[in-house]
Amino acid sequence: MPLLRVRDLVKTYQVGDVAVRALRGVTLDVEPGEFVAVIGPSGSGKSTFMHILGCLDRPTSGQYWLEGRDVSQLNDDELSAIRNRQIGFVFQGFNLLSRTSAVENVELPLLYVAGKVPAAERRKRALAALDAVGLADRAEHHPNQLSGGQQQRVAIARALLNNPSILFADEPTGNLDSRTSVEVMDIFQRLKDDRGITIVLITHEQQVAEYGSRIIAFKDGQVLSDAANDRQRLAMGELAMLPAG
Amino acid sequence: MSIGSSLRIALRALSRNKLQTALTTIGMTIGVATVLTMIALGTGAETAIEQQVRAAGMNLIVITAGNYKPKTEDDGGGVVDHQARIDTGASPAPYGDAGAKLASPGDLAVRAPRRRHPDVVLAAFHPEDDPMEKHDHPTSRQRLGDSEAGLGAAATLTPADAAAIRGVKGVQFVSEGIHENVHAVAGDKRWFTRMHGGDVELPNIRRSWTFTAGRFFTAREQARLAPVVVLGAFAAEKLFGDRNPVGQQVLLFKQPFEVVGVVSSGSWMVTPSAGDDQFDAIYVPFTTIHQLLNLSKLTDITVTAASTGEVSRVSKDVTELLRQRHGIGAKMADDFTVNTQARQSLARGGLRPEVARAVVGNVGGLEKVTLEQLGRTLDRATKTMTALLGSIAAVSLVVGGIGIMNIMLLSVTERTREIGIRRAVGARAGDVLLQFLAEAIALSVIGGIAGIVLGAAASGMIAQMLRWSTSISPASVALSFAVAAIVGVFFGYYPARQASRLDPIDSLRYE
Repeated sequence: MPLLRVRDLVKTYQVGDVAVRALRGVTLDVEPGEFVAVIGPSGSGKSTFMHILGCLDRPTSGQYWLEGRDVSQLNDDELSAIRNRQIGFVFQGFNLLSRTSAVENVELPLLYVAGKVPAAERRKRALAALDAVGLADRAEHHPNQLSGGQQQRVAIARALLNNPSILFADEPTGNLDSRTSVEVMDIFQRLKDDRGITIVLITHEQQVAEYGSRIIAFKDGQVLSDAANDRQRLAMGELAMLPAG
Repeated sequence: MSIGSSLRIALRALSRNKLQTALTTIGMTIGVATVLTMIALGTGAETAIEQQVRAAGMNLIVITAGNYKPKTEDDGGGVVDHQARIDTGASPAPYGDAGAKLASPGDLAVRAPRRRHPDVVLAAFHPEDDPMEKHDHPTSRQRLGDSEAGLGAAATLTPADAAAIRGVKGVQFVSEGIHENVHAVAGDKRWFTRMHGGDVELPNIRRSWTFTAGRFFTAREQARLAPVVVLGAFAAEKLFGDRNPVGQQVLLFKQPFEVVGVVSSGSWMVTPSAGDDQFDAIYVPFTTIHQLLNLSKLTDITVTAASTGEVSRVSKDVTELLRQRHGIGAKMADDFTVNTQARQSLARGGLRPEVARAVVGNVGGLEKVTLEQLGRTLDRATKTMTALLGSIAAVSLVVGGIGIMNIMLLSVTERTREIGIRRAVGARAGDVLLQFLAEAIALSVIGGIAGIVLGAAASGMIAQMLRWSTSISPASVALSFAVAAIVGVFFGYYPARQASRLDPIDSLRYE
């Protein structure tokens, strides 16, 4: 059974008098453990696609099954629960709470878990997640005291806290320099290999897309091409070549 | 998300912007402080009215044995006497044909034969001369050969009468009274003073009393006829000087009594002084005096009515009860006198006695009228103050609430991105609503707590400076707190609902 199963997905926005058709019938499946890179120019509908897949938005028409469940039938609270338990997000702008420490940012998903998680337990798990991305010593730092790469790693730790089956990354390297970009890609590739987490990466850069095991190209709200990437870049090897930042 | 963690998040959010939080809560603070002060003044005024009325003895009824009235006060002349109206119906005066006679001291001789013991040598009655002699007419008039002693000297009241009066509806406290002059002896000091036999309930009746040392005698001491004595402050000073008399011995009629307390005046209007009969006096259980002096009757019975408005009714009921108990026929005069404070104050207020009598006799429920007027005046003043404070409170609560609403709306806009982030990691719309609502409530409750402190201080200051009595009860604090929380919910709900309705995507994209 595919992890994501999308059929004829259509999304239309009403902007003033004009109806903007962001998605015009997208059909595809994503299997567990894939590293899918979605590429396309801005306005191609790739971000809208990710938002719908990430249960942040609803399609105008079409069906979407997440792990066999018809998401288009779910109400807002159920979608929130899915975002909380099954999905992790990493954004271009990191989207950390600015006046909150790293560890508290990472804790955030646990606040919204059904059934109370004790504060001590929340903190313990958040610290472990920070440790996994190599930021154990930055736990009490606030986002503005962290570099871009560090902030993105905090965001990744937060996304992974509830052990989601799928991670959505929207231009995760857009605000990062090349070395930290490779570092983030390395983390993604290891997540896929070590923990079998499915990754959907949205980007407009071909080089970034090439870290994926499969590249889906979007244009004008439709899938232009969808193929396995036989020239996948391996971040770990590249990191070894790069001079230490 | 639990309410506890919502509150914690809210408090942290507020603590980041302390100045803004403080400014936002000022409106609430003033509002709640006004609410609390308003209640404090209102309840304080209520208790003050009650206390003043009680302390003034407006609810006091004194029943004295005998029914002697000087002729000059009671020469009829068409004035219908209250007592007479009840007692004798047609007769214009309590003494039948006496009313028709000229008022002169000579008339009183007519009544002299009605004394029960006309032949006894007066001196023999004096308890100090022979305490073991059986006698039941200890009134001073008789002893001293007072020519006015007639019916008025009769000792007609008994402890059983007092017990019966305790059962009358509306009666609050009852104290048996028996009064003697006595030489109190402590060591080498002697002091000639008044000895009052009373009941344990006496301090409840004399509301302005305070005990500077020790206590009043107990019901148990009264029942055991214990030789205990409470000294009035003036008598205590005469007998013991600066020493603490409690535990010391005083000789009364050559018998040793233990001093258990010293009573003084709790009112600045009354200072203990020589011959004031209250603090230049000593108090002994009436049972002990009965035993000591071989007596069985009472000089008077002091009664308080539970409600000041019922003084008239209670005194009438007591009169009827005693008439019945004493077997007094419909056409006969009382062998006792029932006096109330209102009746006395009318006479004392410079009114000609017969006019006062006429007023009291003909205006039913006079005490009630005057008390109601007094109460109404005070009540009106309090109501005006309460209405004034109430409107200030309402205005500042609304203004404070709008301030909170405004700052919360601003906060929702300011933190749109935060809302988006929280939604993305799984916060439900309800969680966001709860978070912002908790913040609004926290704001108003912080303002409320500050308001309670401010209100308590203000009430204290009003009590200090204006000498108004105020009282802050836990209930009024709880109410103020509740008002603050309700304002928080009311004005915080709209911004919180706005926050919860934000679209996750839009708020994530919000810059």
